[in-house]
Amino acid sequence: MTHTTLFMRSVAVIVVLAGLAHLFACDTQETQAKIGTRHVPVDTTDMLVTSLNSTQAIAVDRAQEHELAPRALQSDTDYIIGKWRVTYDSEAFKGTIVYDLKKEGKVFHAYTFQYEDENGGSQKAEGTKALTIQEFDGYKGTGVYVFTYEGETYDVACQIDMVDENTFMLSYDYYGYSDMETWKRF
Amino acid sequence: MIEFLSKHLDWVDVNYWFHVFNDLSTIYVIIPFFIFELIRYRYLNRLTKDVIYDSITNVITIFAFTLIEYVLGILFMTKVYFWVYEHMSLPHLPLNGMTIISCILLADFAYYWDHRMMHRVGIGWATHTVHHSSEHFNMSVAYRFGPLDAIFPILFSLPIVMLGFDPILVLLSEVFVQTFQAILHTEAIGKLPKSIEYVFNTPSHHRVHHASNPQYWDKNYGGVLIIWDRMLGTFEPEEEKVIYGITEPVNSINPIKVFFHGIHRLFRDMGKVKGLKNKLLVLVKPPGWLPKDQRS
Repeated sequence: MTHTTLFMRSVAVIVVLAGLAHLFACDTQETQAKIGTRHVPVDTTDMLVTSLNSTQAIAVDRAQEHELAPRALQSDTDYIIGKWRVTYDSEAFKGTIVYDLKKEGKVFHAYTFQYEDENGGSQKAEGTKALTIQEFDGYKGTGVYVFTYEGETYDVACQIDMVDENTFMLSYDYYGYSDMETWKRF
Repeated sequence: MIEFLSKHLDWVDVNYWFHVFNDLSTIYVIIPFFIFELIRYRYLNRLTKDVIYDSITNVITIFAFTLIEYVLGILFMTKVYFWVYEHMSLPHLPLNGMTIISCILLADFAYYWDHRMMHRVGIGWATHTVHHSSEHFNMSVAYRFGPLDAIFPILFSLPIVMLGFDPILVLLSEVFVQTFQAILHTEAIGKLPKSIEYVFNTPSHHRVHHASNPQYWDKNYGGVLIIWDRMLGTFEPEEEKVIYGITEPVNSINPIKVFFHGIHRLFRDMGKVKGLKNKLLVLVKPPGWLPKDQRS
């Protein structure tokens, strides 16, 4: 087989396969535009790192670094991913905690990210899991909230209610002790 | 159908299915099948020390290969992939069924050309000969890699990124092709139905690829599909009994010797030819190439 034949056949394969992908892409983008899918940056690292074998795992951190994956990770619920701050004014703690909310598999987890005291001082948190959102439809959700009271840690069922894309209310009721927190996007 | 293929997909779901095939298949296919092959060897009275030591050597080479891949990936590979995607790519493709199918097929086509290059270029063969140097053919051979095996695929997968495919999807597709290919390294499966043998790469086709019989040299480079070989003139069916290995056997189970024998032989061949130009040509000409005036 001549080099020209090899070249022409190879180019044909590439044009057909890439062409089909771009052709279908137009249809996907039109559909997305009709639905009005939210375009919110999310953290891809945790999701991808588990799937890539040793050969490719190192590529994952770069995905985040280059802000590449956000385009591919849009859905009606993923916009909740990111950092959120909650201000507390109780005897146990006065100040603000910043949480890092991530998607891990099908559920969302919020980890403590940073503490801020009343005087504006801040300290990096130890990354403890504080919230698991098991079900979330983009507007309301349910999950498990971890709170500490008098040195004891409790896992309680909680409810999430989105006020807008930058605010949600987290409420829980534990044997008559109820509270509501306002989580604001950081 | 069109609606199905163009439906926007969630990365979490796509990632999950790639994880099931690419990563978990080691647990539910590769290892169980390798154990089955060992039992089969025992049943056929072929379970020799050489088979066992050869398999151990294969596993050791994958560790060395992985180490090199990590270093390369951190220093170079990932940055290049994402830089190309951001600066030298066609409009970025959304994640849908057609994108995934196209990407896997393009990754498979890239694998074909990468594989063909590894066989037909001196420096490529210097590393790929490690994979072919085993005189056995079982699942562990699939993981017998050479020191530079991680480098050449980059040259062939970067054009896919330039076509607008997400680099992560390209990497996942490459691993998919590699995983599929790994499953073909067995003598325990004969020929499959003709329709499958016509379209897909099969253990039979891949046995031919690993043969040292002259009529089987440089044939059946495909990963998932064998149609690339049929289209590009490199297909050969399995007819004569296959003798595995390379024409100049390594005759060693020493992992270090196995891992570096190709590079060592490349330098040896470069030393044999006269003149800088010829020495450089040894790197890019087919294995065993000699300048006209040195051919006997």
